[in-house]
Amino acid sequence: MTYQKALECLSDPTRRSVFEKLRSGPKSVGVLAKGLPVSRPAVSQHLKALKEAGLVTDRADGTRRIYYIDPHGLGEMRRWLDGFWDEALAAFKDQAELVNQAHRKK
Amino acid sequence: MIVNQTIQIAPVRKSVVVFAAPERAFEVFTARIDSWWPKSHGIGAAPIRESVLEGFVGGRWYTTFEDGTEATVGHVLAWEPGRRLVVTWEINEQWKSDARQQFASEVEVRFSAEADGHTRVELEHRNFERMGAAAGETMRKGVDGGWVGLLQLFANAVK
Repeated sequence: MTYQKALECLSDPTRRSVFEKLRSGPKSVGVLAKGLPVSRPAVSQHLKALKEAGLVTDRADGTRRIYYIDPHGLGEMRRWLDGFWDEALAAFKDQAELVNQAHRKK
Repeated sequence: MIVNQTIQIAPVRKSVVVFAAPERAFEVFTARIDSWWPKSHGIGAAPIRESVLEGFVGGRWYTTFEDGTEATVGHVLAWEPGRRLVVTWEINEQWKSDARQQFASEVEVRFSAEADGHTRVELEHRNFERMGAAAGETMRKGVDGGWVGLLQLFANAVK
């Protein structure tokens, strides 16, 4: 599951630091690299991994890219339930109307 | 410097209008849950035999299976016949029953009268971020020391 992929991704301490820095708000690679004992290209690699795991996403800001935590990173279960509730409520509606009809006939 | 940036997983919201009064719709949703809950959507190894939702605060929502086993789906947090129902959803990311309440998401169902004997039923399944913490717990048990601190961080981040 994406869920587990996300957790595995965060098992790397540097990646964890990058992720933690993003908790205070969106940041560019340059800003992220400043507070870390690794090179800019290394930070970019970690961001790539975080992005693949669905934890981080990015947007363009002029010539830079700004990275931020993806609030939907843990959303796989949510997506599944979304479809599930559609199906369950359709079945509920059918049944409620059936029961209602039976009572009205009495 | 670090403010409490909260990251939440958006709730699932659904709405359906049924041709029945709110009291009737509520009754079918709860007391007659077995008549409509999809049999294919169980959490046991065998197909669902029966779904039961006990009608009182603290009541249990559970499922029995064809192989004789049963599993808890959740518990009733709010019971307002004809108006509102809140239940916990004690099913974890492994799709298994999980009794640890702190990791449970919850489902609220509201019933409101509409014109001509119809009822709007609004369902909200929320607090999925708690499941993130549960997933973290599961993972923490399965792996060694390198994970220390990570899961708390993760849980906080998704809170």
